[in-house]
Amino acid sequence: MSSGDSAVSGDHASIVVDGLGKTFNVPVREPGLRSAVTSLFNRKTNDVVAVDDVGFTVEAGEIVGFLGPNGAGKTTTLKMLSGLLHPSEGQASVLGYTPFDRDKEFLRQITLVMGNRNQLQWDLPALDSFEMSRAVYRIPRPEFVEQRDELIELLDLGELVSKPVRNLSLGERMKAEIANSLLHRPAVLFLDEPTLGLDVTMQRRIRSFLADYNRRHNATILLTSHYMADVEALCRRVMVINNGSLMFDGDLELLSERFGGHRTLVVTLSEPADLSTYGEVVDDSTPSRPSIRIGGDEAAAVTARLLAEQPVIDLTIEQPPIDDVIERAFGVEADTA
Amino acid sequence: MRLFLIFLRIGVMNEFQYRINLAIQLLQSLIAVGTGLVVLALIFRQTTTLSGWTQPELLVVMGVYTIVGGIVGFIIEPNMGQLMQDIRMGTFDYLLTKPADSQLLVSVRQFRLWSLTDVVVGAIVGAWGLASMSATVRPIDAAGFVVFLAAGAVLIYCVWLLITTGAFWFIRMEMVQELFQGIYRAGQYPVSIYPTWLRTILTFVLPIGFAVTFPSEALTRRATVTWGLIMIGFTVVLFAATRMVWKFGTRRYSGASA
Repeated sequence: MSSGDSAVSGDHASIVVDGLGKTFNVPVREPGLRSAVTSLFNRKTNDVVAVDDVGFTVEAGEIVGFLGPNGAGKTTTLKMLSGLLHPSEGQASVLGYTPFDRDKEFLRQITLVMGNRNQLQWDLPALDSFEMSRAVYRIPRPEFVEQRDELIELLDLGELVSKPVRNLSLGERMKAEIANSLLHRPAVLFLDEPTLGLDVTMQRRIRSFLADYNRRHNATILLTSHYMADVEALCRRVMVINNGSLMFDGDLELLSERFGGHRTLVVTLSEPADLSTYGEVVDDSTPSRPSIRIGGDEAAAVTARLLAEQPVIDLTIEQPPIDDVIERAFGVEADTA
Repeated sequence: MRLFLIFLRIGVMNEFQYRINLAIQLLQSLIAVGTGLVVLALIFRQTTTLSGWTQPELLVVMGVYTIVGGIVGFIIEPNMGQLMQDIRMGTFDYLLTKPADSQLLVSVRQFRLWSLTDVVVGAIVGAWGLASMSATVRPIDAAGFVVFLAAGAVLIYCVWLLITTGAFWFIRMEMVQELFQGIYRAGQYPVSIYPTWLRTILTFVLPIGFAVTFPSEALTRRATVTWGLIMIGFTVVLFAATRMVWKFGTRRYSGASA
């Protein structure tokens, strides 16, 4: 899809990306004093491809998880979509705007949150930073008060907003950061590791808040995270990026099918039986309840045979944990690269 | 402008929480001015004029120097320091995602209210100097003073922002602040007492001359219309140039950073 027809299809699609690429030109230098000196005069540079030919479309109101190891190109992509970086190749359109034009109307409708970077004023209470955001986004007072109070309530911030930010815990600060980033009620949220370094309770809190925000305002959310739980809880759709290329784009379940490769069948039998002809027996510590591992594509056939040929009382098909799936996916990529 | 006022209000409100800083800052201003006065007294024990400047006139220069220092400390230095930190920490990214002019935003975020004590102390010293002068200040001199003072502040802002924008290319620029303070100290005396080469640098390259000497010259009837126009023209040109470099720098920042 080219950016030309994004204006037409833009009724529903909020993000359209086509052939997006970013190449950084970075100086390289051998270690040591001599090369440090020569590099002053004769700078060698290397082209590093951070993002390569990435294309996807995100509909309004979708929550999409963006997965990949460090340095895969997730942040670079988010930065291109929020207008911070100029793409080297390809097109991106967000809400019908070209991000890098940094049109004020566009910027008013998006937000970027980076889990490892603060934007609240350190010495001031969050409320003061909220006021500053109000000024920057020119939010009318009644709307501002309504949105601010809603966010304070939903994020359970209470009195915390009147304390200087430096006195807040990491999790409290992150909640305040998120509130500050949503005061202008953006339609598109770019969240880069919003739960980084937070404890499980706080992660869950932020997760349920994001789900709620998405429902209330039909906001589009593009989220990167290292925590699978974030992705599993929030996103039906995931995109996997590695070495700058999009490796997968689709349902979370399909991801495990594609890269998981296997299923674990836990079979409860009325009398013990040898199931090694059906698949690899991975656990037979309870003879009447063995587990076997089979290929993802033979699950249906093997299940049918088991039910027909064995005294099966109960049978469950387990997908491998998503962490394993991802690790496997990247492992595959690393092998073929 | 609205943005500026709201930020100013928040900044000022917060400074009031730290009233102890007022005392410290006041003490600092007094010590700085006190030392300056002692040096002046020592100089004038040897001679009656310094490159044509009498003692009361030099008091005026010192007053203006302190006033300009107060303005710089109030708004320019805290904002440029914050900008530098933002570039280093990567939080500068956020500024570019805001629907407001990024240069305006980085220039009016922080205020150090108590630096204004320098303005008060400087005004007192300057007034004392003016009172001991034989000539009186005409309205035209006062007007020239105000215009030159404003232009001087803009010039210092431009130079500082230009240097800070260099951080887009060379990240390690922490020493800018110290560098500036060192050079600014040269502004304690009229630039005419320095040799020509230094005077030229202090006027056009690092415009301390414009910022401190010119307003003082207006008050002591030394200013000429020609130089006044040169200063205003130079301010306008430098401001435009700063704007261009800023735009270019932010574009480049986006193109190159990881």
